[in-house]
Amino acid sequence: MAIKNAVSLYSLQDEFMNGRMSLEDIMAFLDENEVPGFEILPDQMLHGTPNPTEETLAEWDRIMAKTKSKPVCADVFLNTNLYNNRELTQKECVDLLIEEIKLANRLGFKLIRLVSMVPAFVIEPLLPYAEKYDVTIALEIHAGMSFNEPETAEFIKEMKRVNSPYCGLVVDTGIFCDRIPRVFCEFNKQVLGVNPDVIDYFNAFFDKGLDGTHAFDENHNMQPELAAMAEPKDMPFIMLADGYENTPLTVLDDVMPYIKHFHFKLWEMTEEGIEYSIDYKKILQYLHDKGYDGYVATEYEGNRWILPGNPMVEKEQVAAHQKLLREAIAEIEG
Amino acid sequence: MFDNNVFKKDSCKNTVVDGKVVGFELETYITYYRAIPLSMVNEIAVKVDGVEVPREAITCSAEGKDWFTLDEMTTVTTYKWEYDVPLKIRVAQEGGLSKGEHDVELTVETRTAYIPIPIHGVNSRTVTIA
Repeated sequence: MAIKNAVSLYSLQDEFMNGRMSLEDIMAFLDENEVPGFEILPDQMLHGTPNPTEETLAEWDRIMAKTKSKPVCADVFLNTNLYNNRELTQKECVDLLIEEIKLANRLGFKLIRLVSMVPAFVIEPLLPYAEKYDVTIALEIHAGMSFNEPETAEFIKEMKRVNSPYCGLVVDTGIFCDRIPRVFCEFNKQVLGVNPDVIDYFNAFFDKGLDGTHAFDENHNMQPELAAMAEPKDMPFIMLADGYENTPLTVLDDVMPYIKHFHFKLWEMTEEGIEYSIDYKKILQYLHDKGYDGYVATEYEGNRWILPGNPMVEKEQVAAHQKLLREAIAEIEG
Repeated sequence: MFDNNVFKKDSCKNTVVDGKVVGFELETYITYYRAIPLSMVNEIAVKVDGVEVPREAITCSAEGKDWFTLDEMTTVTTYKWEYDVPLKIRVAQEGGLSKGEHDVELTVETRTAYIPIPIHGVNSRTVTIA
């Protein structure tokens, strides 16, 4: 029984997109930092997924053969709006996901993270394939689409009904924020010219133990005091600021047996060696107390909020977060 | 969002075919963090010195070989705009861009399945045509 640290390669997306790090470089970076497991978005770092060429697969095999870090989770999406004039049918959705299960198996993954809002109807028809290819399917619980979202609740209901070891959840810790990421607020203030009063308004909820979801009513209309000061230039901030949720950890009590994996969100490692918004020692202690046996993967997203003229710090932030997790796990597990 | 991905630096130049300048071209990374089929690109728009080029003049290619108009792209599901490969955009315009400096603005809008609002990115660059 153990908690193991991992890195989602999402964390290194800017390095990859701009060609500063290849997939091979990224794997070497993980091994240098003694990261035991990794997670990938096949759509991000492999071409032609879910049906890559033999050449792409051979290159994957070549890199994997010399990489110590283990493939842990493949992040899968479902393009339900592939066409602009209709939603995919149930059959089309299931067929696409069968291809993703086969690819995950081919790449060496035993777990697929299904993006939030994947409909519950896919579970039952996918289970025979999940069993055959030994790949578990797990829905992501993400801020903005968390436990109260009807589609998420429906998935969980169906997951409990089928009660298969091949169906579960992946939890993103963006639902456990004690405060809004400072890098996000600063970027919005300095680059996008968002009114500091609007930012303060959202931050004030956290002082009361609440979060930005309280800036809206049940129909997702802005509360009157926010509507009174919001201007068009403030909207990009307002639309994202309720995506940093402050949910009690006890929300997991009921679903712990179904949790297959965690995304440990990272926006900013501070000089004190902690994540600015999320108390990871508290979360790891909770997981240890509950007997969680699995990976927790760093998912760095501060790369979106680097102020112009400043260097990209994906590698440094990931390494610092991994150090925090490694040390906290060692301390807690004794 | 993803404005920084839009309009690859130094990618804008005139398009020469058989010795003739038939328009201009530019490249852009995706306004998203993963690859999507071309059918999920909602819009590409180009402005030169404040004037929008006609939508019909725009064609795009994921790999630089096969080109589609924006209307055609709505059914293109087997060509993917890969995350680390810029989309190539051509604007048909006899003579291309005139010599000198131009202010070129590119807008890219993609749609995703789980985010209700399309992802819109805009970036402008001052382009010098030699």
